[in-house]
Amino acid sequence: MTATIATPTECPRCGYESLQLLYSSPVAGAWEVHQCRRCLYCWRTCEPDRRTRRDAYPDSFKMTAEDIRDAPEVPTIPPLRQS
Amino acid sequence: MAYDDLRSFLQALDEEGQLVRITDEVMPEPDIAAAANAAPRLGDAAPALYFDNVYGFNGARIAMNVHGSWANHALALGLPKQTGTKEQVEEFIRRWDTFPIPPEWRDDAPWAQNSVEGEDVNIFDVLPLIRLNDGDGGFYLDKAAVISKDPDDPENSGKQNVGVYRIEAKGKRKLALQPVPMHDIAQHLRKAEEKGEDLPIAITLGNDPVISIVAATPMEYDQNEYELAGALRGAPAPVTKAPHTGLPVPWGSEVVIEGVIEGRKREIEGPFGEFTGHYSGGRKMTVVRIDRISYRTDPIFEHLYLGMPWTEIDYLMAANTCVPLYEQLKREFPEVQAVNAMYTHGLVVIVSTGKRYGGFAKAVGMRVLTTPHGLGYAATVIVVDEDVDPFNLPQVMWALSTKMNPSGDLITLPNLSVLELAPQAITPGITDKLIIDATTPASPDGRGNYGNPVRDLPEADEWLTKLRHLVK
Ligand SMILES: [Zn+2]
Repeated sequence: MTATIATPTECPRCGYESLQLLYSSPVAGAWEVHQCRRCLYCWRTCEPDRRTRRDAYPDSFKMTAEDIRDAPEVPTIPPLRQS
Repeated sequence: MAYDDLRSFLQALDEEGQLVRITDEVMPEPDIAAAANAAPRLGDAAPALYFDNVYGFNGARIAMNVHGSWANHALALGLPKQTGTKEQVEEFIRRWDTFPIPPEWRDDAPWAQNSVEGEDVNIFDVLPLIRLNDGDGGFYLDKAAVISKDPDDPENSGKQNVGVYRIEAKGKRKLALQPVPMHDIAQHLRKAEEKGEDLPIAITLGNDPVISIVAATPMEYDQNEYELAGALRGAPAPVTKAPHTGLPVPWGSEVVIEGVIEGRKREIEGPFGEFTGHYSGGRKMTVVRIDRISYRTDPIFEHLYLGMPWTEIDYLMAANTCVPLYEQLKREFPEVQAVNAMYTHGLVVIVSTGKRYGGFAKAVGMRVLTTPHGLGYAATVIVVDEDVDPFNLPQVMWALSTKMNPSGDLITLPNLSVLELAPQAITPGITDKLIIDATTPASPDGRGNYGNPVRDLPEADEWLTKLRHLVK
């Protein structure tokens, strides 16, 4: 297991390039958890390529800006009560 | 034998040979989920798994598949681990008769030892979160009990709710939570949002094994889960007041998270591999703000793998889905003999019933659809005669093979409600439902050529005993 962590530059799921570091392993240098600022996908750097690399991420799990925009509300927000 | 916390149950599993400790170092992903995916494939006596050597963590402890076999489910109820499926359901029904047993209020919960509040909260510091399936949008909590109250009637303990909901960790103190519209917490949230308020909640993890069972039981809106836990345990369930919200929470939990579902707010969530064996999401889901986490020293993270059935979740919502449906049907139709709603939380329901007169079995099938659980599940209902055991699928197939004539026995009801996760719906939340009447037509319904059924010979029972002796 490698102790050097390559910092990711794009979201494996939606390709967005703005990411944030969510957490670093309690054992220093083991792994980091990153999160995409657009689709909120989270991953650990030591997960398999199919979850961490854009070029290995399965097409059927990919998400686009349109998918996010058009996502339905669950549950829908009800109207405010008239008091 | 009633277990007051997860640790004493894990010890009992260990003593019964139902807990496997994995001491070699494993990767957080994909090892832990893959092992928990594989465990139920070992059969009806599959063990729970315990990991305490996870790469990159200091002293993380993760328990998986705790309820993931009929043997473990039996032990959770204090039954011998060899107890059969149908016998476990029958015992569940007997204990339900003692419902309600009020909870016992206790002080000094072990989880009160440590806590963190406000901006200091980081859920990743407390729990070794892991991903379960490849397409999951992140790290989920899917075996926590979520406690909330009716905002219009907060003092009514019957209307408080303890349920299991899908929860995604999306930040150090931010979660997403999915309230299915047919579930009680969705009613609580709707009332809070109509008033423009947040909904206070407590999320408890690593609960005693009966809390997990009652939290996954589809009870009626004004029935109290802790009072069912008392009935199932044969002793009052130990509870205590959560320090931040005052909500009643299990005394024996490993971790208690408190906060609010933020009113009138939604954010992208998922997808998540669900109990239907399919992914669902991404949808804009509720947002939870964590205000406080309390936890036992060296907490055990109990987690649940779910995927293509059967996995742990199918054991966790098998008996407890059958029994409330049985109770509700029996109230109006005492002819009902047994209910098998073990498949995908009762998306298929099999009922055996006696027949008052022709057409009666179809009425029983329609009643299934209008039970509280049937409103969100029960996409297909199969009704069989009273002498067919709904837990014996070869017998059910025999009934379908010989008692069912599509011209009069298949009833399709268009555009009924179903939970949004049901993949077969045309519009999520709306589906046609099917009642299959696989009973022998009763007078005055004269369809078919049934004549006399072939019955077991009266002497067969005696021979069965004799043969069992001879083959030993
Ligand atoms: Zn993304």
